[in-house]
Amino acid sequence: MTHGGSLYELGLRCWLVFLLCVLSPCCEGGEPGRVVFSVGGAPNELDAWEELVKDFEKESGVSVELLRQPSDSAQQRQGLIVSLNGKLRNPDVFLMDVAWVGLFAHSEWLEPLRNIDPSPYFERVIEDVDTFRGELIALPVYMDGGLLYFRRDLLDAYEVGDFPSTWEELVSVSSKVQAKKREVEPGFYGFVWQGAQYEGLVCNFLEFAGSQGGFLFRDAQVILDTAENRRALHLMHDLIWKHGISPPNTYTEMREEQARTYFQEGQALFERNWPYAWKLHQADGSRVKGRVDIAPLPAPATGKSMSTLGGWHIGVSRFSDAKENSLKFVKYVASYEGQKKMILRLGWNPGRRDLYEDQDLLREMPFLKKLAVIFLNARSRPVIPYYTQVSDVSQRWINAVLADRVEPHKALQNAEEEIAALLERYTTK
Amino acid sequence: MPVKQNRSEGDRADAFGFMFPILFFMSALIMVPVLGTLADSLYRDVTYLPRKFIGLENYLALANDPAFWKSLRFTFLFVAVSVPIEVCLGLCMAMVVNEAFPFRGFVRATLLIPWAVPMAVSGRVFELIFNYSYGAANFLLHVFDLSREPVNWLGSEIGAFAALVVTDAWKTTPFAAIILLAGLSSIPGELYEQAKIDRASLVQRFFRLTLPMLKPVLIVAFLFRTIQALQIFDYIYVLTGGGPGGSTTSLSLFAYNHFASGDFGYGSAASVILFLIAMSLSTFYLAGGAVRRTL
Amino acid sequence: MTKEERIKKLVVGAGAVFTLLFCLSPFFYMILTALSRHTDFLRPETHYVVTFSHIHTVLTSQSIHFPAHLRNSVVVSLASAGVAVFTASLAAYAVTRLAFPLKTFFMLFVLALSMFPEISLVGYLFTIMSGLGWINTLQTLVFPYVAWTLPLCLWILVSYFSQIPEDLDRAGLMDGCSRFGVLRKIIFPVAAPGVFSTGLLAFIVAFNEFLFALMLTTDHSARTVPVGIALFQGLHGETPWGEIMAAATVTTIPVVLVALIFQRRIMRGLTRGAVKA
Repeated sequence: MTHGGSLYELGLRCWLVFLLCVLSPCCEGGEPGRVVFSVGGAPNELDAWEELVKDFEKESGVSVELLRQPSDSAQQRQGLIVSLNGKLRNPDVFLMDVAWVGLFAHSEWLEPLRNIDPSPYFERVIEDVDTFRGELIALPVYMDGGLLYFRRDLLDAYEVGDFPSTWEELVSVSSKVQAKKREVEPGFYGFVWQGAQYEGLVCNFLEFAGSQGGFLFRDAQVILDTAENRRALHLMHDLIWKHGISPPNTYTEMREEQARTYFQEGQALFERNWPYAWKLHQADGSRVKGRVDIAPLPAPATGKSMSTLGGWHIGVSRFSDAKENSLKFVKYVASYEGQKKMILRLGWNPGRRDLYEDQDLLREMPFLKKLAVIFLNARSRPVIPYYTQVSDVSQRWINAVLADRVEPHKALQNAEEEIAALLERYTTK
Repeated sequence: MPVKQNRSEGDRADAFGFMFPILFFMSALIMVPVLGTLADSLYRDVTYLPRKFIGLENYLALANDPAFWKSLRFTFLFVAVSVPIEVCLGLCMAMVVNEAFPFRGFVRATLLIPWAVPMAVSGRVFELIFNYSYGAANFLLHVFDLSREPVNWLGSEIGAFAALVVTDAWKTTPFAAIILLAGLSSIPGELYEQAKIDRASLVQRFFRLTLPMLKPVLIVAFLFRTIQALQIFDYIYVLTGGGPGGSTTSLSLFAYNHFASGDFGYGSAASVILFLIAMSLSTFYLAGGAVRRTL
Repeated sequence: MTKEERIKKLVVGAGAVFTLLFCLSPFFYMILTALSRHTDFLRPETHYVVTFSHIHTVLTSQSIHFPAHLRNSVVVSLASAGVAVFTASLAAYAVTRLAFPLKTFFMLFVLALSMFPEISLVGYLFTIMSGLGWINTLQTLVFPYVAWTLPLCLWILVSYFSQIPEDLDRAGLMDGCSRFGVLRKIIFPVAAPGVFSTGLLAFIVAFNEFLFALMLTTDHSARTVPVGIALFQGLHGETPWGEIMAAATVTTIPVVLVALIFQRRIMRGLTRGAVKA
C-alpha cells in the first residue's frame, strides 16, 4: 500500500510492544529482605537519618533504603495512610506522630514488635500509646512535651521569685512584670502560647486544664463540660481579654514558630512551647541567649501540672515483606546507642528514660534532667482512631472562646454534642 | 436495496467491534468508579471498623459540618471571582491577538505556554512568587511603591485567596483566549466592513456585532471554565494546602483530605455533592441547548 | 488615521505587550530562579550569579528521584496517549461512517462522563486499584488516564474524520478491505496530522495530571513529575527553591518547546474539541 500505510503499521506494532512492556509487572520494588524506611522532616533531619541508616547497614549487613517524605506532617500522614490502606509492601518501617498511632493501631496496620523489651522507655507512653490489645506495636523515638520557658533575668530583676507553680501565680507575676517592662518596650507581653485554630491549640488547652481536665471518657461518652475545663477556658480567654498579658493575635496567628520568635526577640516573659525551641533560644544571634530557663508548666487550681505528649514513634508495617530485618532496624534505632546518636545529631529527645542519666549527654545538655521530669508527667491526647475529628471539633470551639465569640460553658457543651454525634458514627460496629 | 440492508447489518457488527474499546474504558474507569463512589457514600467506610450501611447519614453529617460549608463557600466564591475575570481577560487577549500586528504569531504562540505547564509545577512557581521574603510579588509591590510592607500572601486568608485566583488565571486565561480566538476568527470580516460603512463606532461594533456572534462560544467557555473551577485541587494543594486555617480548602480538597485519612464514606459523600453540582450545571447547559435548538 | 484607529492601535499594542508579559513572566522567573545561586536575587543587594548546580543536583541526586519521576511520567503519558488515540480513532471512525443505533446517546454519554469531577472517581478507583494490587504501579495510572483523555480525543478525531470524504472508504471497501483495514490503511495516513495532534494533546493532558497520581501512587517507582515537584523538599536547609525551579524547568521546557513547535496543530485541536462540545 502507500508508504504512509506501512509506517502506521509499524507504529501500531511499536505501541503494542511498548504497552506490553509497560503493563507487565516489571520493576516491582526491589530485593527481598530490603527494608524501606519512610521518614519525613526537614532536609537536615533527613541527612541525620541517612547517617544512622548507614551505621546500621555497616553493623548488621541489612540493606535499608531511606524514602524521603515531605516535611509537612499532614502530607506525611496522607502518604502513609494511602500506602497502608493499599496494603503495599513498602514502606516496611516508618515514623508516626504520636497522634496517629491510635488510628494506625486500630486499622491493624502495625506489626507487633516481638522480642523488644519496653522497660527502658517512658512507662506512661508505652502504656497509653504503644500498647494495643496487649501487644507492643510502636516505640517512642522522640519525646516531646509542652513546657514553660521563662526569662530568668527578668524574674530576678523585678524580684518576683522563681518560676510560677500555678496559673494564678503566672498571671500575677506576668501582670506585674509586664506593667513595668511596658515602659521600655511597648510591645512586651507576659505570656505567649499557641492559640490559633489548629492541633497545637488542643495541646495548650489540655495543659491549662491540668491532670484532672481534658477529655473524660465515661461509659462510651466523651465528657468535656467539666469544672476544670471551664476554668481552663476562662483562664485562656482572660489572658487575652481581661489581663491583657497575651497578645491579641494569640487566637488568630500564634503557633509554635510565632510564639518562639516573639519570645526570642525578648518581647515576652513566659512562653509555652515544645523543647525544640531551647536550642534556638540559646543559639548565637538570639536576643535571649543565656537568659532563659525551663520549667514544668504551672498547675491548675485542682489537679497537677500536665504536659501534652508529642513526638514521634517508630512502627513496622503489617504488610512488610521484610519483617525480620525491619524488627532489627527498629531495635537499632530504639537502642541506647541509636537513640544517643539521634539526640547528638538531631536533638531528638530520646524515648528511653535511661539516656537522661547518661553522663556524656548531661555534660553537653544539662537541661535534660529537667526534661526528664517534665516528660514523666507527659500525658497523651486520646489514643482513639477518630482523634483527628474530635480534635477538629474541639479546636473550633476552643478558638471561638478565645475569639470572645462564645462563652466557655456553651462552647464545651456544643463540642460535647458534636463529639457525641461523631462517636455515633465512628464507634458503633 | 439489499446491499444497503447488508451494509447496515455489517455496519452494526463492525460498529460493535469499533465501539467496544471506548465503551469499555469509559464504563470501567469512569462509570464504575462514579457509581462506586455513590454507593460508598451510603456507607460508613473507615479503616478501623467494618463497613456498615448507614444510608444518608454521611450527608446529614456533612450538613452539620462547618468545615464542609466553609469549603463549599470558598469553592463558590472562587468560581464566582475567577471565572468572569478569566473569560473577560481571555476575551481581551483574544481580541488583541485577532488583530494584525507584527509578531502576532509569536504572541499567539505564547498563549499556549501556561496551558502546557503542569498545574502542580505552576503552583510551585507561584508559591515562590508569592513568597513573603523573596517572592516576585512583594518585590514588584515594593518597586512600584504600592505597599509599605511586604504582604504575607499565603499566610492571610485574603492574600491566599488572591494568590490562588492569580495562579488560576495565569493558567486558564490564555486557554480561554485560544477558544475565544477561534470563535472570533469565525466571524466574517465583511460584517465588520459593513459596520464601519454604517459608521458604527468601535464600542458599538463590539457590543452589537462581536458579542452576539460570540455568544455560543462564550457560553461554552463560561460553562467549561465553571465546571473546571469547581473542581480546583492542584494549586491549592501546592500553594496553601487548604490553609490558612482551612480557609482556602476547596470541596475537592475537603473530600481528598478525608480519603487520605482513610474515611472513604465521608469523602465519597462530599465528592458526590460536587458531582451533583457539576452535573446540574451541565444539564442546565445541555437542556438550554436543546431548548435553543427547538426554538 | 482617524483618532479611533489610533486609539485602537495603541490599545492593541498595549494588549499585545500585556499578553506577552502575562504568559511569559512566571515562566522566565522560573528559569531565572533555577539558574540563580541565590533565591532572593530580586533584592538589590544580591547579585545574580548563574549556576547550573541546581539542575545538576536535580538530575543526579539519588534521594530526590527526579529522573525516576520523569521516566514514569513519560512512559505513562506515552502509553495512555497511544491507547487513547487508538481507541478514540476506532470510535470516531464508527461514529462518522457506520450506522448504528443510539449514536447521539453515545455522544451525550461521553460528553456527560467528561464532566465528572476527578475527585468523584478517585475514591472508588483507589478501591479498585487496591483490590487489583496495582497501587503504585504504572498501569494504575495508564488505565484511568486513557479513560480521562478519551472524550477530548474522540471529539477532535470525530471532527477530523468527518472531513474525510467517504469516497476514500468506498474505494478501499471495493478492493475487499475490511472496515478496520480501511481505517488503518486509508484513513490514518490521510488524517495523520490530526491523529498526531490528538496524540500530542492526550500526552500533554496525561503528563500534567495530578490528583490520580497523588492518590494512586506512593513513591518513585510509579510517581509522576507533577506529584514529585509538588512534594519536592530538597536536600539542604530551607525550601530549596533553586532546585524546585530547576526540576520545574527541566520538566516544562520540553513540553513548552513541543507546544510551540506544534502550536498550530494543538490550537486547532483544542478549538475543535471545545467547539464540538
